[in-house]
Amino acid sequence: MNRIIILTPLIILLIICFFSLTYLLSGKDPNKPPSALLNKNVPSFESTSLYDTKEIIRTIDIKNRKILINFFASWCSPCKIEHPLFFEIGKKYPELYLLGFNHKDPTSDAKKYLEDDGNPYDFVGVDADGLIALEFGVFGLPETYLINEEGKIIFKFMGPITKDVLKNEIEPLL
Amino acid sequence: MSSLVGFLSLVFAIGINFYLFLSRYIFKFQKQKFNFFIRFSSLLTLLSFFSLMYAYVISDFSNYNVFQNSHSNKPLIYKISGTWGNHEGSMLLWLSILSIFSFFFSFTKNIEDNFQKLTLIIQAFLHILFGLFIVFTSNPFLVNSILVNEGLGLNPILQDPGLAVHPPILYAGYVGYSIVFSIAIAGLFQNTDDEWLYVAKKWSLISWTFLTGGIALGSYWAYYELGWGGWWFWDPVENISLMPWIAGLALVHSLMMVRGEQAIKKWIVFLSILCFSLSVFGTFLVRSGILTSVHSFAADASRGIFILLIFFIVTGFGFLVFLLKEPKKSNTLNLLFINKVSALVINNILMIIATLTILLGTIYPIIIEVLYNKRISVGGPYFNATVIPIMIPGFLLMSIAPILSWQTNKMNNSKKYVIAFIILSVLVLIQSYFLDFNTWGFVGLLLGFWIILASIIAIFSSYKIKINIKFFKIINPHVAHIGVGIAIVGITCSSVFQNELDFNLSEGDKFNINGKTVLFEKIETTNQINFQSLRGKFLFDIEKNQSKEIEAGKNYYPVSKMITSEAGILHQWNKDIYFILGDQKNNVWFVKVLINPFVSFIWLGVIIMIYSGLIAVTRR
Repeated sequence: MNRIIILTPLIILLIICFFSLTYLLSGKDPNKPPSALLNKNVPSFESTSLYDTKEIIRTIDIKNRKILINFFASWCSPCKIEHPLFFEIGKKYPELYLLGFNHKDPTSDAKKYLEDDGNPYDFVGVDADGLIALEFGVFGLPETYLINEEGKIIFKFMGPITKDVLKNEIEPLL
Repeated sequence: MSSLVGFLSLVFAIGINFYLFLSRYIFKFQKQKFNFFIRFSSLLTLLSFFSLMYAYVISDFSNYNVFQNSHSNKPLIYKISGTWGNHEGSMLLWLSILSIFSFFFSFTKNIEDNFQKLTLIIQAFLHILFGLFIVFTSNPFLVNSILVNEGLGLNPILQDPGLAVHPPILYAGYVGYSIVFSIAIAGLFQNTDDEWLYVAKKWSLISWTFLTGGIALGSYWAYYELGWGGWWFWDPVENISLMPWIAGLALVHSLMMVRGEQAIKKWIVFLSILCFSLSVFGTFLVRSGILTSVHSFAADASRGIFILLIFFIVTGFGFLVFLLKEPKKSNTLNLLFINKVSALVINNILMIIATLTILLGTIYPIIIEVLYNKRISVGGPYFNATVIPIMIPGFLLMSIAPILSWQTNKMNNSKKYVIAFIILSVLVLIQSYFLDFNTWGFVGLLLGFWIILASIIAIFSSYKIKINIKFFKIINPHVAHIGVGIAIVGITCSSVFQNELDFNLSEGDKFNINGKTVLFEKIETTNQINFQSLRGKFLFDIEKNQSKEIEAGKNYYPVSKMITSEAGILHQWNKDIYFILGDQKNNVWFVKVLINPFVSFIWLGVIIMIYSGLIAVTRR
């Protein structure tokens, strides 16, 4: 009897560790709770092109097709890591509209960055004062959103996307 | 450069601890040499920590951690606190505090040499585990691969003086239990005399006092910074800190009743292991990000698994030693119907049940998600409905426990207490009758006042009143209980009798709160160093000459694009008037006013508890 009582803590420990480990290994990410914006309409925005200030993009211009929105900046090192993946996405899904928002960057730096690393985006919008990012609830760079044909946000990712994220989370939605 | 110094000294410190750990088996050396190495490794760990702090202070963005979490515009104090405002830095802080405890423990006198050595070897083992965790999964000294001249900022909600000191104090509490753990394990390995129990008592009191301070600071911060009007939300991270706190309380009380009783010794060892296990488990839950909470921290599965492994090793090792080397039985407890020992035993059992109840509620969402793939959250209603009723009989016992006798069923002056209790009950009942009657309010007030009253009666009827240090040491247990009573009154009033008022106001409007006229003066926006602030200014009680100004509003932090709410609080001794500025529409602002009666009593109660914790440390 006494033995069993002393064993109890060890048994509880095993149970706790078992469930915690299963949870961790199942690939669930508790830190990415569904965003408040998920399944909501995309915030309205209006932005000029990085290359031509007369060219303007608005929310209504891009209805009826899937859009991948990526917030990036030349000073953001994780952005560099995910950058090549957008070429891959663009090649694989030519009908997907890739919209990049250059976040709080001097125009010259942004242009140089896209020259050096290449420009995977269909349109590069300027978000010099960060107001568009604020509308989207961007917390840190990079951040990526997927918008469906009805203009609803169906996916949001904080931080650089990886091959796994692309394959397991983004591609099934495309 | 500082990153390199920091990293090397950290690795070197881990190396020394490894050497010390092996010294139990291979290289044996003298006590002096051993202590020298322990102290040297502690200083190295601290050097590592201060190197990181230096990198933060000079905004050295070549350090990736600084780049990610700091910004050159930040005020100096938040650059310093930024050191532990992120995962990597906070783990280094954890390790540094572990080292500080080992450092001071190596100076402990009146303890057997071998015993002290063994305790420090277990500390070295813990240092190795957490040190490797930092080096392999959470290195704060990584070099930034690109050249930058600006950092990415710090979570603005953490830019607050209260929160700057909250983590170190809380950690001092958590990590302090490592010493208690090591002492207990060493006690199991070496069946020496009972001298170690007194040493353990001192350290567990120190840890408990720090933990109390840390939790209170966090709670106070939540109260005025989150702008939700409350100070406790049964958030997972809060629960995590509450578990070792309650277990630690049980431990401190058990250590008081050591009188050579082996059954109690066993219980003490169990609690010592439990306290530190819960601390490590808390670290695991927070640092793996396995639970969602207001404390959003970066999550990373590999970190989670590593620290789960540490938790498993530490706890498993502790309880396994407990199982195999259990202290020998000799005399049994002197349990009577109502004496000090039985009251303490019952209280201990209640505290452990409360701890387990909180543990269950905290990990329940994990179990459910694994089994049913559903995300649920267990919140206030569960904890209020389970934990509070468990604690109530404990509070009742606690009010009389200090005057019970060790040996007999006799209670001195029992008549006085019965009369006082009856009078008090009638008074509280009348008071409740005239205000809105609320069962919880009645029970809480009665309990709180009863604890205060019973302690005061005990002080006056049992001791000769003298004003000297010795006297304050003698009455210390009663003083601690008065603190608890005051806190209970505060908790009851502020939660049960909270009053909420909503207003829609334009600038210049006047409105009424509790018969006092309040003027909504104006809205003001200003630019501060690292944020923009929006403030609604209110003048409270304008009919009087000395009307008080209250500012409530929001801050916008451009670097991290976050908005924080800043509640405006008018503190009065008997209530806080808590203003929250909401959104506006056509220049009409939504203003919420909460009247929280007797909140100050909670903080007062906690301060008294901390005071008695400190006094108790100095008492043998």
